[in-house]
Amino acid sequence: MNLNNFILYGILPILSLSTIFVFIRFLKGPSIVDRVVSIDLMVIIGIGAIAVYSILTDQPTFLDIAMVVALIGFLSTVAFSYYLEKRNRND
Amino acid sequence: MINILIAFCIGIGAIAILLASIGLLRMPDLYLRLSVTTKAATLGVGLILAGGALYFQDVGVTSRALAIIFFITLTAPVSAQLIGRVAYLIKVKMWKHTITDELAGRYDSESHALESDLKPDEVELPQR
Amino acid sequence: MMKKRFLLNVMLTLVWAALTGSFTYVNLSFGFIISFFVLWIISRDSPDRRYFTIAFKIIGFFFYFLYEMLKANLQVAYEVMTSNLHMKPGFVKMELEAQTDLEITLLASLISLTPGTLVIDVSDDRKVMYIHGMYLEDRAKFIQSIKAGLEKPLLNIMR
Repeated sequence: MNLNNFILYGILPILSLSTIFVFIRFLKGPSIVDRVVSIDLMVIIGIGAIAVYSILTDQPTFLDIAMVVALIGFLSTVAFSYYLEKRNRND
Repeated sequence: MINILIAFCIGIGAIAILLASIGLLRMPDLYLRLSVTTKAATLGVGLILAGGALYFQDVGVTSRALAIIFFITLTAPVSAQLIGRVAYLIKVKMWKHTITDELAGRYDSESHALESDLKPDEVELPQR
Repeated sequence: MMKKRFLLNVMLTLVWAALTGSFTYVNLSFGFIISFFVLWIISRDSPDRRYFTIAFKIIGFFFYFLYEMLKANLQVAYEVMTSNLHMKPGFVKMELEAQTDLEITLLASLISLTPGTLVIDVSDDRKVMYIHGMYLEDRAKFIQSIKAGLEKPLLNIMR
């Protein structure tokens, strides 16, 4: 059992299963803040999947995309929290 | 030999991410979800990126992986704190078994300023 | 004095890498360790030796924090997998001993990275921090564990 098979049949199914769980919370979430948290976690799972995929295809260039995704995910969380606070204050 | 180490790192990381998502699904209110998911997911992604750095063994790739790990470890607590604060401000419901809430009534409802509400003798005698 | 020592250390590391001719991570960190010990031996009689004690303190604190984080992660993992009816969450107030912005930021990040605790906000006059905790059987014990486990070693390094 080499590394590629382990990643293909062991790791990627675990990551997709956790994405499904997060998506169920995204659909169910009672408040909007739950949805922001689940988007945040989905971005982090995406970074992990990109890193695993770069090992699988032997292409280290994919890690650049992981870095950009990490930056954008943090920015979107900050923007969402700022917007929610301002919206609540003005009405 | 190095393959076993890489497989160990990636496997533990993936299991940590799975635990984070199960926690997000099962925990009863937002604050508990937030305090379970952020840390476990940070640990999982850090371990997966460390496995990637071990696999390539190249200076550029290792520094890129270290930069991503550093950035995620730096920003995950900040975003968790921002979201928790906003959730408290817009009054997201708490779990019914929550035992204490010492933050109640401390926020100014107009300006969102937070007072510390220490009595003068409490300032004089901090807990040792 | 600390900055001067650190820059000297980096310069000696680069000299080592240039002399051995390979710029890999292993060689650079090996050169850093060697030049650290060389500087230590050279400045044994100098009165200001903070740079050498603080390095060991930072390394010790790093591994201590890693161990604590793994332990708390296992606890939370157990909590997630089993039925979660015996948690006692709540918001508590903790008085701060950290003063400056950097200390408060580092302390809040460390508290938030330990599973089971989450910093909600710091008051505007920087005297009190509000923490959301998962296991609040005993409030005084909870605050005491944070103060002794995280704040005191951090302030020990920063000051």
